[in-house]
Amino acid sequence: MNPEILTAKKLLTRIIIALIILALVMLTCSMIGSQKLSPSQLLKKSDNPQFTNPDRQIFFNIRIPRIILAAVVGAALACAGVVFQALLRNPLADPYILGISSGAGLGVTIAVLSGINYTFMTMPAISLFAFIGAIATVWLVWFIAGFTGRRQVTAMLLAGVVVNAFFSAMIMFLSSIAKSQQLQSTIFWLMGNIQEQSFVALWIIAGIVLFGICGLFLIAPQLNILSFSNRDAQTIGINTTKIQLIAFAIASLITAIAVSISGLIGFVGLIIPHAVRLTFGPDHRQLIPLSAIISAAFLVIADTFARTIIAPAQLPVGIVTAVIGGPFFLILLVKYARKIGWYSK
Amino acid sequence: MSIIKVQNLNFKYAKSSIIENMDFQIEQGSFTSIAGPNGVGKSTLLKLLSGLIKPGSGKIFIDSKPIQSYSAKKLANKIAVVHQDFVPAFGFTVFQTVMMSRTRFFNTSGFENQNDINAVNTALEKTDTIDLASRPIPNLSGGERQRVFIARALAQDSDILLLDEPTSFLDFKHQVQIYDLLKSIQIEQKKTIIAITHDLNLAAQYCDESILMKNSTSFFKGKTNQIFTSEKIEQTFETKGFHFQIGNESFFMPLGKFAKDSPN
Repeated sequence: MNPEILTAKKLLTRIIIALIILALVMLTCSMIGSQKLSPSQLLKKSDNPQFTNPDRQIFFNIRIPRIILAAVVGAALACAGVVFQALLRNPLADPYILGISSGAGLGVTIAVLSGINYTFMTMPAISLFAFIGAIATVWLVWFIAGFTGRRQVTAMLLAGVVVNAFFSAMIMFLSSIAKSQQLQSTIFWLMGNIQEQSFVALWIIAGIVLFGICGLFLIAPQLNILSFSNRDAQTIGINTTKIQLIAFAIASLITAIAVSISGLIGFVGLIIPHAVRLTFGPDHRQLIPLSAIISAAFLVIADTFARTIIAPAQLPVGIVTAVIGGPFFLILLVKYARKIGWYSK
Repeated sequence: MSIIKVQNLNFKYAKSSIIENMDFQIEQGSFTSIAGPNGVGKSTLLKLLSGLIKPGSGKIFIDSKPIQSYSAKKLANKIAVVHQDFVPAFGFTVFQTVMMSRTRFFNTSGFENQNDINAVNTALEKTDTIDLASRPIPNLSGGERQRVFIARALAQDSDILLLDEPTSFLDFKHQVQIYDLLKSIQIEQKKTIIAITHDLNLAAQYCDESILMKNSTSFFKGKTNQIFTSEKIEQTFETKGFHFQIGNESFFMPLGKFAKDSPN
C-alpha cells in the first residue's frame, strides 16, 4: 500500500481549485438578492453621466462588501475551530468553547442596555463591545487555567465552561431587566447576523483575518503533533509553550473579530473543519487553508439565503447555518466515519 | 563512555519526595531496563530524563551537557521517547504519524523532503508496520500502535531511545517481537535504549544493565544478572517467589499465599 504523501504542489493545486470555486460562488451570490442583478446590466454604461448605474452602485457598495464580509467571517470561524479542536484535542471543540461567545454576548448586552451609540473608527459600539468582551473573556480563561499550575487541556476547558456559565447568567439577568425593544436587538445579535461595515473597516478586518490564517498555516506541522499530546510534541522537538500561545492568540483574535461583526454564527466552526477532515484527512497543513476557503464559500451561500429567503426582511444567518449544517454534517459523518475510524478504540 | 549522567537528582511532587539523591550513569550503546513497584517513580524518572519535567535539584547531563541547556529541537536530536500507549483524538495515518517525528527537518513552508520520506520508510520496514502505512492510528490494535510509536521514535533519528512500558498489554508473541526489535536497534544502529518494564524475566534476557527502584531513597543499578536476583526482587517488591536459571539468565516467578505452588 502506498500512503498518500501531501506535497506542496498537491496542496497548492487543491487550494487553487478551492479558490476558483469560492470565486464562482461569490460572483453568483452577488447577483442574487432582493434586487436581481445581471452581468450585462452591470457592464452597461449609464446614459446620464451625472448618475452612475444604480445596479452598479448596489453591486459595489452593498453586495460585494457584504459577500466579502461573509467570506471573511466564514474563514475565520472555521480556522479557529480547527485550531481549538487541535489544541484541546477534542473533536467537539468549536471557536466558542472557551467562552468567547458569552463574553461577546455580555459586551453586546451592556452596549445595548446602556444605549451607547457612538462609533469608533467607523465601527459601531455594538461591534466594539463584542470584541472587547470576547478578548477579555479569552484572557480571563487563559489566566484562570494558568492558576492550576500548568495550562492543561482539562483546566482550560473547565475554566471556559465556568466563565461561559457565569457570563450567560449575567446576560440573562441583564435581559430580564431590559426593555422589550432592547431585548430584541440583543437576541437578534445573538442569533448571528452579518452587519455591513465601512470600506475601511472591511479591509482592516479582512487583512487581519488573512494574516492570522497565514500565521496558523505556518505552525500547521506543529499543530499536527500537538493534537496528539503535549509530551509527544515536546519530545519530538516542538517548543510547545510558544506554539500553543501563538495558536491560541491567533484563533482567539480571529474569532473575536468574526463575532464582533457577525454575532454568534453557530455550527460553521464545528462542521466545516470536520467535513474537510473527513474528506481530506486531519493534516493541518491542508486542513487550515481548505477549511478557510470552503467555509468562506459556505457562509457566503448561507448569508445569501438569509438575506433573500424572506426579502426584503433578513433572517439571522446563524439559523441558516444550523439548518443547512446539521443534516449535511450527519450525512458526511455516516458516509466517512468508518473510513477514518474515530470510534474504534 | 557515558551518554547520560545523573547527579544528585531530587524530585518532589506536592511535597512528597519521589526521587532523592539519585546518582547513576548510562553507557553509550547500552540497553537498560528500569523496574520497580507501582508508584515508585519510574515514569517520573523517565520524564526527568526526557526533559519533560525539571528536577527539583541535582543535574542531568546528556552527552556531558546539562539537559536544560538544550532547546526542544536540540534535545530531540539526542532523545526520542515512546510514551505509554494511548489513542490520539484524530485519525492520522500511520505514515503521517511517523512523519511527525521529522518535523524539525521540514523546510520553511512545512513540507518533508525525500530524506524524510526515506527515513520514515526505513523505520516502518524495521518495525514491520509498512503494510499499515495508510491505516488511521485509532484503528490499529494495541500491539500495532506500539510498534508504530517505536517507528516514530526511530525516524526521529536520535541517539537515545526512552520507552515507557513498551510491552504492557501485549501477548507473548508481540512482547518478544518488541524486545527483539529493540535489541536489533541497539546492535545495528548503536542506539542507547532505556525501557521501563514490569517484565523482569524478559528484561533479564535482553537488557545489559538494570535499575531496580525500591523506594524514593534507594535503588539498585548494575549488570542485569546481578540486579534481578531473588533477594533483591523479593526485597523490592515485598513478594516471595521461585527463582531459577535458564541457561545463563535467571528467572523469577512471584507466588502469593494462596498460589497452588506457594512456598508458604
